[in-house]
Amino acid sequence: MPLARCLLAAALALARVPAGAEVRVTDDAGRAVTLKAPAQRIISLAPHLTELLFAAGAGKQAIGTVEFSDYPEGARAVARVGDSALLDLERIVELRPDLILVWQHGNAQRQLDKLLSLGIPVFYDQPNRLSDIPRSIERLGRLAGTEVVATSVARAFRAREADLRKRYAGRAPVRVFYQIWEQPLMTINDEHLISDVIRLCGGHNVMADLKQLAPVISTEAVLAADPEVIAGATAEPNMRDDLDNWKTWPRILAVKRDNLFVIHTDLISRHTPRVLDGAQQMCENLDKARAKRRR
Amino acid sequence: MLIWLVLAGAALAAFGIALAIGSSRLAPAELLQALVSPQDSTAGDIVTRLRLPRALAAFATGGLLALAGALMQVLLRNPLADPYVLGLSGGASVGALGAMMLGLGALWVNLGAGAGALAAIALVFALARRDFSRRQIFGAHEASPRLLLTGVILAAGWGAVITIMLTVASESKLRGMLFWLMGDLNGAESWTPAMLVLAAALVVTVPLARDLNVLLRGEALAHSLGVRVAALRRAAYLVAAAATALAVTTAGPVGFVGLVVPHALRLALGNDQRVLLPAAALAGGTLLLLADTVARSVLAPQQLPVGVITAVLGVPAFMFLLTRSPRTAGAA
Repeated sequence: MPLARCLLAAALALARVPAGAEVRVTDDAGRAVTLKAPAQRIISLAPHLTELLFAAGAGKQAIGTVEFSDYPEGARAVARVGDSALLDLERIVELRPDLILVWQHGNAQRQLDKLLSLGIPVFYDQPNRLSDIPRSIERLGRLAGTEVVATSVARAFRAREADLRKRYAGRAPVRVFYQIWEQPLMTINDEHLISDVIRLCGGHNVMADLKQLAPVISTEAVLAADPEVIAGATAEPNMRDDLDNWKTWPRILAVKRDNLFVIHTDLISRHTPRVLDGAQQMCENLDKARAKRRR
Repeated sequence: MLIWLVLAGAALAAFGIALAIGSSRLAPAELLQALVSPQDSTAGDIVTRLRLPRALAAFATGGLLALAGALMQVLLRNPLADPYVLGLSGGASVGALGAMMLGLGALWVNLGAGAGALAAIALVFALARRDFSRRQIFGAHEASPRLLLTGVILAAGWGAVITIMLTVASESKLRGMLFWLMGDLNGAESWTPAMLVLAAALVVTVPLARDLNVLLRGEALAHSLGVRVAALRRAAYLVAAAATALAVTTAGPVGFVGLVVPHALRLALGNDQRVLLPAAALAGGTLLLLADTVARSVLAPQQLPVGVITAVLGVPAFMFLLTRSPRTAGAA
């Protein structure tokens, strides 16, 4: 009975995301978040969560977000309800959200507790690794009832990641020092998203073994590690100078071979699909460094 | 004399340790090689371009802070006085943080700190000028609290400005700003001005030490003994202020050294400024140098803020002196 089977399939497809159906998703704090219906009025409390929400096809449902939510273009028009440190609780309540997306590290716990006590559903989303990003998109899609878009975006992300990995991960290892901040000098350990990107490109983060996620370290440690590439993020034009300061240490291999590479911070430090654009740049940079070996 | 030799020996030993220890382990032979011919190895770079300038900056900063603290405690005749009590670090912080908010480079941050410190010095001097003038001294048997109160209130004002700046600063800049406020010697390569001012401050204050001893007994008495009290107070304030300004510009507002080192020395050596002031410079420098060496090596390659270490080393040492000594604390 092909027709009946088609009807059944259609009915099942509809049953997955019908308006008014209960949605239940477990968040990264381990809490089961239950919505009576897919969320239509969503406030996101971190720039990368806003970006993920748009990626999951739920940009139209975003009614509030925080400062620095500047991507995609549509996110700039969304109302602001504070920044990642301080929230305007009155404004949030006034917007009558039916879901608030929270990044655990970013927001003041006391204010979040207040929101919870007001009975607004709060979903903690904490994408840490590269592989968490498509998972976050899928979950946001379920919460917002835009599963179809979210699933395909997540699938595309995984495919592109696998493609980069196949192409670059097996190439000759390159020792990379990644600077996230100059003064104080800060880097990232193996737990960090950026370390995933470096590994994806066949690089090795020379500070991978440090215990803290983003430790302050000494210049001396970088000299001793003698990386082949020094990479860093830049957000503003004048920050190009940050890596130029390394040029006073011509004995570092990366300086000797002029392997100082800058990547825009939004492309590599945000847990969003754009990280693969940053990864693409990183992989190409490491290849440039490999090419200089043969000369 | 003996005590100065002991302290100078300790300072030299601290320098030796500071050059030998760090994130990268250098064998003694490598270390010697690095000191003799620094130009042809990474070890040479590490020892002569990283460890040595930082050690000199740490020593100069610690010396300046301890000397400034000792002078402030005499000037204000208050045991709680420290180099920052009159709002100098607040002014410097506002200047430095302002430069950071504008996205300016390290040089401008230092210049901002210096300018802020000078503004704070001038403000205190202008508002409490009667405390520094001759007329006020006549008939004043006790030190007026006006200078101290002026400074403390100004410090509170600077504190409020700092809080506002931290609140409105963008997240990416906040990190650097908070780190600066903790006090840090990483990248403090400009040790020369601090060292020169430390030497100059000692040259100016040591001849004044005898008069400062008299001043401690009360201004009226000092005046009747022929001490030019107003001029002396001005000199003490300006030297302490200049020393603090240089220290903060070099390393940010490093805490604790300026308060505790003078007190510890008073407990150990007595309250004779002729001994105390040079001893404070040596001991303060040594303490900060050791603390900085610990801060950059104990969790190496990770770095700790040096202010944490000065407190961790200083609190038990000070408590030991305080409970052991028959002399009373805070004789100033």
